[in-house]
Amino acid sequence: MRLKQKGLADIADDPEAFEVFYRRHFEAVTRFLARRVGDPHTVADLTAEVFLAVLDSAHTYRPGKGSEIAWLYGVTRNTLLAERRRSARELRANSRIAGRRLLQGDDIARLEERIDAESPARRAMDAMAGLPENERALMELVAVDGLSPAEAAAALGIRQGTARVRLHRARRALQKIPGVVPPLVMEGQR
Amino acid sequence: MNDTFEDRLLAELKAEMAVRRQARFVPAARRTTGRRFFAAAGVLGVAAATAVAVPMVIGSGTPAYALTQHPDGTINLKIHELRDPDQVEKDLAKMGVTADITYLPLGKQCGNTRVTPVKGDDPSFTPEELASKDPVVEASVRKKMEGTPSYKAIQPKDGITIHPEYIKPGQVAVIEVAENQVKPTGKPGVEWQMRGQLSDGPAKPCQVADQPDAFEVGDATPPPGS
Repeated sequence: MRLKQKGLADIADDPEAFEVFYRRHFEAVTRFLARRVGDPHTVADLTAEVFLAVLDSAHTYRPGKGSEIAWLYGVTRNTLLAERRRSARELRANSRIAGRRLLQGDDIARLEERIDAESPARRAMDAMAGLPENERALMELVAVDGLSPAEAAAALGIRQGTARVRLHRARRALQKIPGVVPPLVMEGQR
Repeated sequence: MNDTFEDRLLAELKAEMAVRRQARFVPAARRTTGRRFFAAAGVLGVAAATAVAVPMVIGSGTPAYALTQHPDGTINLKIHELRDPDQVEKDLAKMGVTADITYLPLGKQCGNTRVTPVKGDDPSFTPEELASKDPVVEASVRKKMEGTPSYKAIQPKDGITIHPEYIKPGQVAVIEVAENQVKPTGKPGVEWQMRGQLSDGPAKPCQVADQPDAFEVGDATPPPGS
């Protein structure tokens, strides 16, 4: 017999627990996506995908391995990467919930505002585009999404020591780019 | 209150959770349960809707649906995968049929009255008749249902068979299809169900509501009189 896991294991089964989780993180997820996607309809589709993925994988969350938000950003990031691999059309066709169909009235304007508000973060990520992939992923989560290095390591599933080394390298590389200095990179931090 | 995208998405996600919970208890296989859904249609007051659960094959790599027009004018619609209802509508329009197609997960239905019933589509049943297990009563209910224009126009045969000759100008074929999202495991279960009804003029938008008994297969005996 399996012992009941503490943590997120229940949210996939308990609508009330799920609602609490959803309300707590909905904004963070849309902001995370708005920093990386410029189109409100796609943000809506992806938000739906992320929370469906949460239902699918809540059992993989281990409280000992980092905060809830780190885990959720990991899920969000994987969803986004999967979307970039597939065509957007394919994503919509296979999705169980078409996020964009739920957009009504002011929703699009609200998402557009959110996307606009995140434009400094997008500039920061553009500045980091030249970094090696593994350093860039980490730097984004720390400098733009506001995770601690330990949380970012958990989100990416890497060891904290590895994360520290990569961050150090990434910072040095960024300082060498004229016009891109850490203050700009830090703009998206909360 | 579903005022914002946030609220509406939460409602959809909770619906998805409910479907998953239900689906875990009733794995799907291929059975028809016409009797069950005639009764369900009565409870909802959509007496003339053709509502049946039908076997369906879902496979990747196949087109989402197949539409075939036969020489006798009938149109056969086979749905392989629940997506792209808009395209089905467009293709049917090319064949001269105005259709309103809605895809839902099994366990959900349009809870509102969407159609303006067409003439002849109002066989009257008492609740007792609809709930009756007496084969004679069941057969008579079925016969009355089959005499309605909606049933003649949208038949649950070989997938969905549409008879355009029973659809008058200005009428819309309103079809709702609900799919069980759990793949068959060999035990009896409802694979998908279909409701079809004609409407005089456009149908109202679907207000999604729970249909808790959608997963019940009944006793899986063929409907009487068939």
